[in-house]
Amino acid sequence: MAIKTNILIFTIFISISVLFAVGTLVSTNPALTILFSIIALFFSVLGFSTRFYTYLYIPLFRSRKRNIVLSNQEAFLLSPSGNTIIINDSVGTYATAFVKIPLYRSSTEMTESEKLDLGRTFSRVLTLTKETTKFSSEMYVVNKDEYINKVRAKLQNSSEKLREMQSSEPSNSEKLNRLKGELTMWENLISNISSSRSESLVTYNMVSAFGQNEEEASSIAYQKAEEIAAGISAALGVTAYIAEGEELLSLIEPNYMIPVETVNEIIRQKSIKEGI
Amino acid sequence: MDEQTVMYLGVSAITPFVLLVSASSLGPLGIIIDVFALIAVALILMLNYADFLIFPAVTKLLGIKIQLSKEHYCLKEQNAILKYTGGIYYATGYLTANIYNYVFNAESSNPNSDDDQISLAPEKWERILMNVDFPFKFNVITDAKDVQKYREDLEGERGFLEFQLSRESNSSNPNQMTLTELERKINVTQAKIDKMSSGELPLNTIMYIETTAVGISEKDAVDSLTNQLNRLETVFHTFDVNILRVVGREIHTLYKLNYLLYEPQLIEKLFNHQK
Repeated sequence: MAIKTNILIFTIFISISVLFAVGTLVSTNPALTILFSIIALFFSVLGFSTRFYTYLYIPLFRSRKRNIVLSNQEAFLLSPSGNTIIINDSVGTYATAFVKIPLYRSSTEMTESEKLDLGRTFSRVLTLTKETTKFSSEMYVVNKDEYINKVRAKLQNSSEKLREMQSSEPSNSEKLNRLKGELTMWENLISNISSSRSESLVTYNMVSAFGQNEEEASSIAYQKAEEIAAGISAALGVTAYIAEGEELLSLIEPNYMIPVETVNEIIRQKSIKEGI
Repeated sequence: MDEQTVMYLGVSAITPFVLLVSASSLGPLGIIIDVFALIAVALILMLNYADFLIFPAVTKLLGIKIQLSKEHYCLKEQNAILKYTGGIYYATGYLTANIYNYVFNAESSNPNSDDDQISLAPEKWERILMNVDFPFKFNVITDAKDVQKYREDLEGERGFLEFQLSRESNSSNPNQMTLTELERKINVTQAKIDKMSSGELPLNTIMYIETTAVGISEKDAVDSLTNQLNRLETVFHTFDVNILRVVGREIHTLYKLNYLLYEPQLIEKLFNHQK
């Protein structure tokens, strides 16, 4: 369908170009000759550009605005089961599933032969399936918000205890000093956590399937992902599994890759640096 | 260059060619038309070989933004995909990272030389991770080739090279350089056939790096993204990779590949011009 549209638009542009080229050759008016030749050559270049840009021309002609809207739908929808995403493309309905590969080994604790084995095994993992698949290694920012909140609660608790102690038993210096020490410890911990970012690495595989409807596409993609997960588990000796829900979103959505709480911290630190 | 591109080039060049030839009969007017025709030919060739220069220039000049989905759009410079959500801009950019020395495609006839590279890879990778403190992805899209067909092609290639070698060595004045080159090519082809016999499968691969930066404004996010891409370019030089920032229409495809993998033929065609 897309190829047919490409060729149709290409033929239209080239026909206009040829028509004006003929006009250039038969015209006796010099101004018209120049004008016709420019139009003919313009459509000739435009015709060639349809080789790559037809997908932009049609929305551009339709909208007749400066901004081209290729789609104003969501990029994808999460399937009801939460383990695949659904993409409604101009061609049809697709579903994509993601297999997480938990790899925890570091090369620093491997011998030369183990490193070679890992490299070779990974090379073989790439050839596990005949399907078109994507292997990705993603470094993402860890969401430390929950941890920070816990430490903040403890800090608040200690500071309340200190306040109570200062009003009820101001003479008990030993207890007061211990509480002050605890408070300083929590404050230092918070400042340490906030001053540096923590990143984590995740490796995953992605596979897509086409279907007549969302259910069919989703079920085929899930089956393919299960096969790949089994193959990877056997080859690498890990338990590969299909990602679901938020875990899945963290593999594709930038706002899950960089949690909003951390973003605020990044922006705050950037502002401080710029201020300095 | 594939057949379709040749067809497009040939048909599109008809008008400039006709005008170039016939304009000479139009006197001084013809010279002007000739100049325009040559410009058109140059533009067609640039669109074919370097559309990543023309397309962003046109969109920048006309101020065209491309909305890819409800929340994502491509800047008029065509060098980043932006997402605006919760008052924050997320800018995503891409780098090509085709590791040419992928063991199967490497032009090596000695399997031991691959071993060194493979055993060094995990260490190099971890060194990269240590030097990067922002989110990024290294992506490898794989698609298995038809083993039987690929084997037949390799055997055919080896047969043809052997024929060339025997013809050259039987000639009255054999060229030593040609003989050495042909022998090298035969060894490389034989090494690939041996790898297949040992169980390794031939693959088509596309590799690229993706990174995302955040900012409170569009410019802020894109500036951070450019910094991150430059840093990635530097740290990935430890691998034997050819790294280039992706701009132009390929960025739209890379954005889609985050969610959906098309048929291999289509993906390969989309990236034909990046190789």
